Amino acid sequence: MKRTMYLLSAVAALVAMISISSCRKDPLKDMTDEESRIYITNHDNTVDFTSYSTFSIVDSVAVLSRNSDSAKKALTTYDKQLIASVTAAMKQRGYTLVDKSAKPDLGINLTRIDNSYTSIGWNPGWWGGPGYWDAGWWGYPGGGWYWPSYYTVYQVNEKQTAIDLFDLKNAKNDKFNVIWNALWRGSGVWSTNNVDPMVQASFAQSAYLSKSK
Amino acid sequence: MKKIKNWLLIFAGCIAAQAVSAQSRPPLSIDLNYSIAQPFGSVKDYANKTSFRGWSAGLSYMLNDRLSVGVRSGYQDFYKRLPRAVYPDKQGDVSAVQSRTLQVIPLQATVGYAFTPATSVVIPYGVLGIGAANMNYEKYWGEFVDKKNSWQFMVSPEIGINIPFGQYSPVMFNANVRYNYAPYKYNEITSFNSIQGNIGIKVHIH
Repeated sequence: MKRTMYLLSAVAALVAMISISSCRKDPLKDMTDEESRIYITNHDNTVDFTSYSTFSIVDSVAVLSRNSDSAKKALTTYDKQLIASVTAAMKQRGYTLVDKSAKPDLGINLTRIDNSYTSIGWNPGWWGGPGYWDAGWWGYPGGGWYWPSYYTVYQVNEKQTAIDLFDLKNAKNDKFNVIWNALWRGSGVWSTNNVDPMVQASFAQSAYLSKSK
Repeated sequence: MKKIKNWLLIFAGCIAAQAVSAQSRPPLSIDLNYSIAQPFGSVKDYANKTSFRGWSAGLSYMLNDRLSVGVRSGYQDFYKRLPRAVYPDKQGDVSAVQSRTLQVIPLQATVGYAFTPATSVVIPYGVLGIGAANMNYEKYWGEFVDKKNSWQFMVSPEIGINIPFGQYSPVMFNANVRYNYAPYKYNEITSFNSIQGNIGIKVHIH
């Protein structure tokens, strides 16, 4: 009888201890939206960013959802804030904003990617395809984009925002080399209030992106 | 006459054996412990915080007064959150708040040796555990996880003490210090090293 009691109490203690193990510290439990976000920047390290002087930026933001063919241009409060923040950051780095007809050295494409429904990857391979910001908008019909090999494909179900900076000055075979890119992922990347800090963070980690250096 | 003497000797032997068995504890025991662990080396660089989330449990069988064999398992959760920083990565530069976690679940065979007889007030002992450990690596970049679950060889020498609650009590207080080593390699972790403190009870059940 005594022995059985010992056995039962031991088993009970074991069960209690195992339940402690489920009390693992969950990283997502106490995570704020700000902490959940990551800002990824890529750049072509063979490029001399001081060799460019002028830039132009798209007048609206491309929105990708469901699949690559349904990209739409939008100009919401968020999009206006995005254009304004990126423009301000570029000016701060010494570049001059010009109209796209004035042959800018650099062009900037802005894209929101909504992968909530289907899992379309952030895939530069098709990104330059029809339905997206086509080279024709920039006055180069028949042109296309070229993403160097350092870009990695992310395949996730979530909302993202991407900024692509490409070289309009040195087209190679009618292809424009994307020389800098920022991708935001996480909770709240589509919130207008977060645009400015996200732009600033992306530029802050890209010190090389400067006219003066 | 000689026959009677032999019989007496046998009787004496039986009584003596009975007396011994009454003094010693049942050979099969179970132990349950709360564990605290401090990582070392590359694991410390990964998540330097002392882990207060752990336990250890074992089952052992006394082969004789001193030597025992058994099995054991347990759990330890290592965790550390780093403030936002920029990490140069093969995928570019990534700005993120990193939450680094590692959960370790060992499954080991054990050999134990008691340095004093079972009748002692305090029984110091040593144990060597050899087996495998399930390593669950989860590094969160913001809310995005870099995850890998794998099994790894693990060896864990340990020294400790048992203090019986009364001379012949099958229930004993248990405290020990264990060193865990696994040749575990993943990302920034080049090997797994931890010192673990366990406190609990050991009960001889059968």
